[in-house]
Amino acid sequence: MMNKKTSHKWVFVCLLFALLFTIVITMMIGSMGPVGGGNDGISFQAFWDVISGRDSSSAFRSIILDIRLSRIFLAGLVGISLAVAGTTMQGVFKNPMADPYIIGISSGASVGAAVSIFLDIKFDFSLPILAFLGALLAVFLVYDISRVGGKVKVETLLLSGIAMGAFLSAITSFLICMTGKQLHFLVFWLMGGLYLASWKVVATAFPPILLGTVGIFFFSRHLNVLTLGDEPALNLGIDIDRTRKILLTLTALVAGVAVAFSGIIGFVGLIMPHIMRLLVGPNHRTLLPASALAGAIFLIWADTLARTIIAPTELPVGIITALCGAPFFIYLLRKHKGGVM
Amino acid sequence: MRLEVEGVCFTYASSRILDNITFGVSSGEFLGVMGPNGAGKTTLLRCISNVLKPHHGTILIDKDDVKSLSRKEIAKNMGVVPQTSAIDFAFTVFDIVLMGRTPHITGMSESLKDYEITKKAMELTNTSYLSKRTFDELSGGEKQRVIIARALAQQPKILLLDEPTTHLDISCQFEILNLVKSLSTEIVVISVFHDLNLAAHYCDSLMLLKDNKIVSIGAPENVLTPANIKKVYDVDVLIKRNPFTNTPYIIPYLFPRRNKKGMTVHVICGGGSGEQLMNTLAKSHLNVTAGVLNVLDSDFETAKTLDINVIGEIPFSEITQRSYETNLDLIKKSDVVVLTDFPVGFGNLKNIEAAEKALDMGIPVIVIQTTEKRDFTNGKLKDCFARLRDKKAIFVKNVEEAFVTIGNFKGKREFNKEQREVIK
Repeated sequence: MMNKKTSHKWVFVCLLFALLFTIVITMMIGSMGPVGGGNDGISFQAFWDVISGRDSSSAFRSIILDIRLSRIFLAGLVGISLAVAGTTMQGVFKNPMADPYIIGISSGASVGAAVSIFLDIKFDFSLPILAFLGALLAVFLVYDISRVGGKVKVETLLLSGIAMGAFLSAITSFLICMTGKQLHFLVFWLMGGLYLASWKVVATAFPPILLGTVGIFFFSRHLNVLTLGDEPALNLGIDIDRTRKILLTLTALVAGVAVAFSGIIGFVGLIMPHIMRLLVGPNHRTLLPASALAGAIFLIWADTLARTIIAPTELPVGIITALCGAPFFIYLLRKHKGGVM
Repeated sequence: MRLEVEGVCFTYASSRILDNITFGVSSGEFLGVMGPNGAGKTTLLRCISNVLKPHHGTILIDKDDVKSLSRKEIAKNMGVVPQTSAIDFAFTVFDIVLMGRTPHITGMSESLKDYEITKKAMELTNTSYLSKRTFDELSGGEKQRVIIARALAQQPKILLLDEPTTHLDISCQFEILNLVKSLSTEIVVISVFHDLNLAAHYCDSLMLLKDNKIVSIGAPENVLTPANIKKVYDVDVLIKRNPFTNTPYIIPYLFPRRNKKGMTVHVICGGGSGEQLMNTLAKSHLNVTAGVLNVLDSDFETAKTLDINVIGEIPFSEITQRSYETNLDLIKKSDVVVLTDFPVGFGNLKNIEAAEKALDMGIPVIVIQTTEKRDFTNGKLKDCFARLRDKKAIFVKNVEEAFVTIGNFKGKREFNKEQREVIK
């Protein structure tokens, strides 16, 4: 018992260091960075000046601290959100295939985003706000459809999530067909990316994501018991309907915000929980923070690749996450045949 | 501590599953619930744990209505062990048992006391050595012990078990039930059983459910009667006593008791000499009668077990004139008489005489004669046998031969019957 606890502590120490290391290194990578900046690249000395605050005015400083660092932070936040939401959904549904989007969040957000472009609604954060509203509406509908006699069965929830997803995707496709203009932008958004990043976005996204993540963490013991199944959970004193409702709401909040600002980034929410479960076990009290950290690290690196690999053009980060994530996940599946839970 | 179930009714999809169930159990009592599939056993447990809400009636834990208690409060009072458990996630056994503390924990994490209670529950159930293993690595018996440990970590006053040993081998069954039995000295234990003998062995009281109603409830010997079991399961059984525990022991009849239309064979036997023959005849669906046998004779037991019409005599006493005559009555109704090679003394010499009378009545007699010494009549038996020989009794060497001979009679009898019908 003790041995395992200490080994878990080491995993956390490593993850925290890895995150710090990731943030520092990825700050250097990119155009006008010391690494991979091509001809415009500046020296490590100049980079150090910016970090240590000696350089306080150059355009370079603004690129590093305003543009790049805010983007790294947003990537980190979105990574945390998706990983936490994915872990929670896999626990609630007792299903290894569950991801943050399983209850209709992605398809709802897509419709919201498509509507904002179709109707040409323009105000501050118009697209994220509409996407967020779309996500919440979809989750609410899915939950309501699944409710039979005041109770929600997990299987029904899963199926109505899939059905609602298909329906909403059709609406999105329809709107895309009708839009014509700015189609490119919407498709890009759908594939996921962090180009909306700014400190303002980070400041907006941070409070709800923090609230949701901490909230879910407080329910980690309940989440453990929920994975035993409905009847055992009831017999262990868990009010399953209430707990599930709270967890779904918090997940919708966290994943909804992430989707609103970054579009639909696949695979992070699906594989991070699995990888971390192999490392720290299924206990959500350790699994949730471990997944959160791993999600942040993974998405920061994925985004760094996305913005540099074919610079100056950037790739939707969803392509990178799927390209790296899927093979790695398949490797894990082959290695631990049948034992990813 | 007392659990009262009062007039509980439960309806699911417009069909009654429980109909006016009323009973009470106190601490230190082990109640077994039995009944055919679909009788409502599991539903009853679910109603008690308030996972299902009864439509009528109340369930009281020490005067507290279960309906008024929160899930948490119910879980503090009740532990539930299902038939089987599957845990998808790779929790360690310790983590799983620790989850039993869930209703007692208020904050984020477990206290030292929770760890202590968890460890104690694992010691009680002999699962400590599994602590670091994951659930799906365990054998069926180990899994069930872990789930019981989890229920014990709840420190329940009531333990509900739903066929806890159905999928386990015989040694696991005893291990689990001995454990449950030892727990039942302090708390209320209610368990569903399919195995009537296990239930009779372990439970202080039993309940038989049929068609959503209680058919019988009370002490095992009062509940487990052939009539009750026939009523509930539609199975004919013989109730004996378990030689170790003196609890009721149920033996179902292995072959259906259908109307036997074939010939009737009367067996005169004793001392175990007729066991094989009676078994073979009964399995061939022939009508079998037997007599006269002393009540404590093993052949008498066999005849009773096989549901054979047998004439009994008081143990260790001579065959009375009355028994002898009843025996003759049965012989009169039979198609063939078989005399087995039992030891003959003055007490049962009348049985040999009865065989002689059978020949006088024109009923064929098959005599099984082996080389064993069995004459305790100072030569009288020899005379009897000589007379039997004179009167054309058929002598055979063993039971198999006797059975073949009976088969020949059977064939002839049927042939005769056909002949008669043709003539008609």
